[in-house]
Amino acid sequence: MSDKTSTPKHNVIVIGAGPAALTAAIYTTREDIETLLFERGVIGGLAAVTDKIDNYPGFPDGVEGLKLSEDLSKQAERFGAVIEPGEVTSIKDEGKLKRLETTSGEMLAKAVLIATGSDYKKINVPGEEEFYGRGVHYCATCDGAFYRDKKLAVVGGGNSAVQEAIFLTRFTSHIDLLVRSTIKASDVLQKELEEHVKKGQITVHLGTQTKKIIGKDKFVNKVIGYDVSKKKDVEFDVDGVFVFVGLEPNTQFVKDSKIKLDEVGFIKTDENLQTSIKGVFACGDVRSGATMQIASAAGEGATAALKIREYLEGRPHAPQN
Amino acid sequence: MVKNITIFTTNTCGYCSMVKKYLGAKGMNYEEVNLDEHPQRQAEALELSGALTVPVTVVTKQDESKEVIIGYNLAKLAPAVA
Repeated sequence: MSDKTSTPKHNVIVIGAGPAALTAAIYTTREDIETLLFERGVIGGLAAVTDKIDNYPGFPDGVEGLKLSEDLSKQAERFGAVIEPGEVTSIKDEGKLKRLETTSGEMLAKAVLIATGSDYKKINVPGEEEFYGRGVHYCATCDGAFYRDKKLAVVGGGNSAVQEAIFLTRFTSHIDLLVRSTIKASDVLQKELEEHVKKGQITVHLGTQTKKIIGKDKFVNKVIGYDVSKKKDVEFDVDGVFVFVGLEPNTQFVKDSKIKLDEVGFIKTDENLQTSIKGVFACGDVRSGATMQIASAAGEGATAALKIREYLEGRPHAPQN
Repeated sequence: MVKNITIFTTNTCGYCSMVKKYLGAKGMNYEEVNLDEHPQRQAEALELSGALTVPVTVVTKQDESKEVIIGYNLAKLAPAVA
């Protein structure tokens, strides 16, 4: 094990660089608290791969997810935040310091903020893994352009599925939206969806479970669904399928630590956003009870930063000015 | 030794921005092929990667051998351009 005197030591290490993490970093660095962020994927997280964000305050016409992410990143970097591409693989509590294994080596931190967010869930049906990248996709803004004038299936009925299906209409000739039960997207998105249904760009199939993804010549050419009300299989001839069926937390790296998770794997925190390890905080979509909204994630990031400041100053739970 | 780098991207792809940002931070030059602007080159990206996705980064070495990295995959990208 490295000596504490030679291991790089930071005031705050933030794991992740999505809206929660970047907001926290804006707050910490603006108060001269040295902060290093680790991001293994895209800066901005899922927000960065979302076409348009319509419900983040301050943008009357909405904002592109990538643009919002880049601006948050620039703002944090302006105050001195350092974003390192890489991954934290474990956290160990050593009292006043936390030891982190990272892809850049071992590091110590006085406080750690976990803001790793969530990723889209898989549907775990035959063909999903086999045809990943060759007809099965989870990022419309990345891969939608490959489906110009082609037919797609989109799986899911929540905000992400409806929003991404609408985005994909700019490329496709037709989309079958396969919804296991009913549409759960917001009223605003449902109204927008109706417009695309009227134009014949999207057909909604309620009560349709996705059973199997089939391909020909290495690429997807069919999705088999199950119509729950008619109790029979139904085939969709499509060139690809995009899956948006909810989120799963990015908490694999804490599974062997003392950080407590809830029954579905999200990180439990107290009212100060502190985890079961003192000095390790969590915020945003990875936190148990999170509302999975970018605005809330940013708010939690700000709260976490203030709680971290209190912790570093040794005055927990002090009222904020 | 890297001879040249080509990245296939689209306008809305966040992972493409990450690859460009990473190479930019390393001071490396690259050619960007934006498939929204040049959709006729999609087949080329597909042939190189075998996948319908971006980013696709093609690192050509001095001996003309090619390494193709699909997505923003630092574990493969970093050694390929080292």
